[in-house]
Amino acid sequence: MQAEIAVAEHPREQAINIMYAVQGHYGYLPDEGLLEAAELLDLTPLELEELATFYDFIYRRPVGKYVIHVCDGVVCWMFHENSVFEYLCQKLGVCAGEISADGLFTVLPTACIGFCDHAPAMLVNGRLYGPLTPLLIDEILEKLKTEYCDLVVCK
Amino acid sequence: MFEEVLFKNRRPDRPATLDEYRQSGGYEALIEAVKQRTPDEVRQLVTDSGLRGRGGAGFPTGRKWGFIPADAGFPRYVVPNTDEMEPGTFKDRVLVNIDPHLVIEGIILSGYAVRAQTGFFFIRPSYELDAQLIEREVEVARQAGFLGNNILGSEFSFELVVHRSAGRYICGEATAQVNAIQGNRAHPMKDRHMASDGLWHRPTIVNNAETLACVPHILRQGAEWFKGLARTKTGAGTKLYCVSGKVNQPGCYELPIGTPLREIIEGSAGGMMPGSELKAVMPGGASTAYMPAKYYDVEMDFDPLKAVGHRLGTAAIMVFDQNTCLVAATLNLMEYFARESCGYCTPCREGLPYIRDLLWRIEAGEGREEFIPMLQQMARHMDSSYCAFAPGAAESVLGLLKYFLDEIREHISQKKCPFAEAYRPHRKLWYPAE
Amino acid sequence: MPKLIIDQRSIEVPAGTKVIAAAEKLGIMIPRFCYHPGLGSFGACRMCAVKFLEGPVKGIEMSCMEDARDGMVVSTTDPEAMEFRQYVIEWLMMHHPLDCPVCDEGGHCLLQDETVSGGHGRRRYLGHKRTYHDQYLGVFVQHEMNRCIHCWRCRNFYQGFAGYRDYGAMQIGNRMYFGRYEDGPLESPFAGNIIDLCPTGVLTDKPCRFVGRRWDFERAPSLCLHCSLGCNTTGSARYRQMWRQEGRFNEMVNGYFICDRGRYGFAYESHPERPRRARVAGLEVAWAEAIQTAAEKLSQIAATAGPAAVACLGSARSSLETQATLQRFCRALGWSEPRYFSVPSQERQVKAAIARLEAPLAVSLREIETADFVLVVGADPVNEAPMLALALRQAWLKGGAVAVLDPRPVFLPFEFEHLPLAPGDLEAALEALTAGAGGTDLLAGGSPWPLLPKIAALGRRLTQTQRPVIVCGTGIVRESTPGLAADLVLRLREAGLNAGLFYLLPGANAFGAGLLSPAGEGLTPLMEDLETGAVKALMVVENDPFWDYPDRGRLVRALDKLELLVALDYLPSPTVQRADIVFPTLTLFERNHSSFVNQEGRLQLAPPVHLGGMPMAQISPEKHPPRTFLSHIPGGEPRTPGEILAELAAAMPAPVTLPGDDLWDWLSRKNPVFANIVSLFESPPGARLIPEAVPAGTFSPAAAPAAAERPPDYLELLLVDLIFGTEELASYSKHIQPAEEPPRLRMHPADAAKLRLSSGDRVALRLLGGTLEVDLQVAENMAPGVLVLPRHRQLNWRLAPDYRVMVAYGDIVKVEA
Repeated sequence: MQAEIAVAEHPREQAINIMYAVQGHYGYLPDEGLLEAAELLDLTPLELEELATFYDFIYRRPVGKYVIHVCDGVVCWMFHENSVFEYLCQKLGVCAGEISADGLFTVLPTACIGFCDHAPAMLVNGRLYGPLTPLLIDEILEKLKTEYCDLVVCK
Repeated sequence: MFEEVLFKNRRPDRPATLDEYRQSGGYEALIEAVKQRTPDEVRQLVTDSGLRGRGGAGFPTGRKWGFIPADAGFPRYVVPNTDEMEPGTFKDRVLVNIDPHLVIEGIILSGYAVRAQTGFFFIRPSYELDAQLIEREVEVARQAGFLGNNILGSEFSFELVVHRSAGRYICGEATAQVNAIQGNRAHPMKDRHMASDGLWHRPTIVNNAETLACVPHILRQGAEWFKGLARTKTGAGTKLYCVSGKVNQPGCYELPIGTPLREIIEGSAGGMMPGSELKAVMPGGASTAYMPAKYYDVEMDFDPLKAVGHRLGTAAIMVFDQNTCLVAATLNLMEYFARESCGYCTPCREGLPYIRDLLWRIEAGEGREEFIPMLQQMARHMDSSYCAFAPGAAESVLGLLKYFLDEIREHISQKKCPFAEAYRPHRKLWYPAE
Repeated sequence: MPKLIIDQRSIEVPAGTKVIAAAEKLGIMIPRFCYHPGLGSFGACRMCAVKFLEGPVKGIEMSCMEDARDGMVVSTTDPEAMEFRQYVIEWLMMHHPLDCPVCDEGGHCLLQDETVSGGHGRRRYLGHKRTYHDQYLGVFVQHEMNRCIHCWRCRNFYQGFAGYRDYGAMQIGNRMYFGRYEDGPLESPFAGNIIDLCPTGVLTDKPCRFVGRRWDFERAPSLCLHCSLGCNTTGSARYRQMWRQEGRFNEMVNGYFICDRGRYGFAYESHPERPRRARVAGLEVAWAEAIQTAAEKLSQIAATAGPAAVACLGSARSSLETQATLQRFCRALGWSEPRYFSVPSQERQVKAAIARLEAPLAVSLREIETADFVLVVGADPVNEAPMLALALRQAWLKGGAVAVLDPRPVFLPFEFEHLPLAPGDLEAALEALTAGAGGTDLLAGGSPWPLLPKIAALGRRLTQTQRPVIVCGTGIVRESTPGLAADLVLRLREAGLNAGLFYLLPGANAFGAGLLSPAGEGLTPLMEDLETGAVKALMVVENDPFWDYPDRGRLVRALDKLELLVALDYLPSPTVQRADIVFPTLTLFERNHSSFVNQEGRLQLAPPVHLGGMPMAQISPEKHPPRTFLSHIPGGEPRTPGEILAELAAAMPAPVTLPGDDLWDWLSRKNPVFANIVSLFESPPGARLIPEAVPAGTFSPAAAPAAAERPPDYLELLLVDLIFGTEELASYSKHIQPAEEPPRLRMHPADAAKLRLSSGDRVALRLLGGTLEVDLQVAENMAPGVLVLPRHRQLNWRLAPDYRVMVAYGDIVKVEA
């Protein structure tokens, strides 16, 4: 990481990458991770927190191994995205933002993910899925639960 | 039959490789440019082609490049914008996945035209796999000598860096994007001219990925050819139309710019879904107003749409049918915009949630007649906010008020949503007030 | 000069003026929240929308974002603009609590004013109000985030203007939160300004919390006495006590802002032990009795031992009136001339500096902001003259560069070049620069000095500037350094540069003290006169040698020899406690007008804020005004030193009347620099007591005794200033005391390595007067061979014989826990 910062002409430019890297390590961006990242970047904790809390994909609270970003854009909404969201929550026994009992999943509503031609859609582990049906959701969850998948995290 | 230009290397299962791209004439434009054309000639050609920005605002690309003052210093930057967070828009994702090298070549050429040294490929986190694809292909291009120092033996050196965003709609705004790349909060900077005072106070040009993908073709086949692609007199080139909503074959289609809406929906998109009638479309993403069915024959280009009071935006056509409550749809959009507002200026930060609250009340059967003038005034006043975010957000409200006032009144008089399925406001995650 | 029309009235303004500022010149106050003339335009709040009817811009636009241009026709009352502004207010008030009755800002709240003037009276928004958790931001600033309207002023000042990095905006959209990463004191010593800037009650003055509404206070313009810059303030008093100070605009001195030492240092004024009654031999006596006793005893000593045996010590913190009256008093009685400094080196440094300050050279604090290069020599701005640091930052923000030559680990809130030279090398550096500025090759001397290449580079950069300023401190430098700084400025001017000179002095009115001090080398140092017994009675006027005299042992021995010690002061100082006779005096906030001369010679007047007297809180603990009515103000006995001296003169066995003519006439006869001050109230604002040109042959201190070379195995101990804890008046302030950081000894890593010490070690420092224990901090960014120790009130630093002493390696030892 230090190397990356050293390469960058302007260390601050690496802020998001470093936060992603720390997030990749901890699963989310905990306080200690934020402090480490800030030190690497020569930023104050406040300066990094200003960025961390600005963005959608930096998780400042613990999340499951897979964060299910359910698109709540208007097109997905047209295709009953609400039911998808509720189905997921019910299936996993969680409310939005909570971690499922097996520690694997967190469901979050998210801005349009650009999969409108397959609405309703969601983003899990870097992949876009749609059009979602309860059957497809079951399949995806089952696959994520049982098969080993390389974790796709922003790097 | 129209022959696709940007999508000509489309394959059913994978992106085109460098070789495939080169077989289709790829990188010829770059080779020719660095060997035989001056940067000014490239810019002039793009200006002559009439290419207008595909990111939403439709600004002439060549003119934008020309804003860099002649005596501006170095380094200079180009920022290919693939943030694409406009709801309904997914053309850049499709484009990158079809022909990554077309985009890369376009970026390099834009860098050549403005004599930039570095490009920051700005990409949203939901496209992480595409970011990785681009990173791989950038490396491939570098190996082939199209990137790096002294490209193809010329004086021109150019680097392309993939810059990942962490996801906010406002990052798509050019000046906010510049702030984001610098590692600042992504607030827009309206008091700065990017062409002379952009990234790290250096000349910077921000272009949409689709715009840049047109550049290699313009260079290879000429400005007149490019103009000739359009179906309208004032238009130029082809356009990637993203069709979504209640149509049979939603998707991203490349068509001559200015193809009438009817042809797009009934042709490429396979017509309306069974049982659906066209009620309205948003012609260019969530920041454009609803366009009712009476404009079914309008040519989908910047000027024809402007002539009827609408905007092409990103040409993301979202199709609503007669069973969709547009109050609820607008409420959904307001939830989105209120959540994504960067919070810098008051109208956007406080006004959008206010509008959302009024819409929510109307949808929930608590609407009052006096909400209507309030909505009208507030939506109009969004024009006086700091950047183009809030005016765009207000477009749907203004469209709703203009074309579907009766639908609002029905909500108010019936004290409920007249449509079968009422809108259920979102999880109590970010808005604990209700 | 663009000419435009605003509300049918035409005005011409300098190019670059914003429309909102142009309107203000016409007396039209366009509503605003984010815009502040001291911070600039941000376009965030959208409150200043006006309609542009004609000209290059059309329609509703923000008046803070548009430069005034020719042909503009602007309407501030256009219905569309008014409707928009009404909505902005409504939006801002959606979540603002209706807690004005319990909010400290209520009554002087910009949001309140603009809500009322905008006609917003009923909340139409039906949703809930947003709420936040507040943070603890330290002892100065109270945080009430629910009231926030997100105008960005606090962050724009804190991070943008002042350059500190621990306070900002988190979250996004309407959930945005202005605060710190976590609870804790704000790190910036300029944080108090965000209280003044906050347009509503999010950030309020903590010491003044729940004390009163604006109209409850007696308010008056005042001055800050906590360093030599002379920043302008507005004081607020209630119930015979100062409660609050705010920054007051002065376009030549501090601009809009002040530092926290200046803002909260005032509480010495209501120190519970402040002398309020005259005392003789430790007992409170009637005022007349004390005057009688003092007059008798003083005249008796003068009669028996000669008038020269009675000496007076004024100070650098007294008003010019007090300083001058003291001199007149001594002359009228035939006593020896008063001294104003207990430390002779300070007197010589001050005189050396002001002797070289002439009108073409002298720049004001605000003028530093326009410099393209500032060279700071022997000064630590944040700790010695805090607002200088902000002025330097403004210069840097405008593209200027700042270089600091100082042995201390200097911190400034921006990027600057620091050459940590040992104190002894500062003069050599200045000489080298002076030699080089005229074009001479700096390296010609071939000195073996390692930092010379850097100095040479600095010299080359200096010659490429147009408007350089040399800032020279007087804290740690040698007595001849100020003169060398002036030489460099003159040389740069010779080379065609518009170079300026800016000194820092020890004390709010050190300039006045310097002007009045005897010319030339001056008198025998007071301490010697005391030791030889030449002086038998000492009258100390608003001075406390126990505060700043380094060698405590010597001071005590010398004072022990006195037959009589008379003290006039408002501080409960050790001198006052020790004095045989005490006369309580007034602070600058009370009853009288007083004037002070800042370090650039600027004469400034401080009118009284209140009448004085014992604070109500100290005589009526139930915080209710007492119900007994008196004919006098309780605790109102203190008088100005001028009044006391006049009474003393009149009470002498051979009564003397102090000359009745005007003090200013007398001063101008004495020194031509006073000539343009007819009377203080009529003098042109910003009059400076400096000559157009320095007459030849003015005082310059004898060349320093050949710079004492640091022997090997010795470190040079520098006793220095710290923002909180070393300044005399502020150290008596109960608001400042909790903000003080524990004092630390600082040392270069190379020296620490030699002594096998590391950061955090407790170190015993054997000095002449005894052993001092202090925590060590190793600092990279300081000169090797130097020890830096603050003259902190919590530290018995007066064991050192001087402000600069050599300490042998063997005398620095680690204290094992």
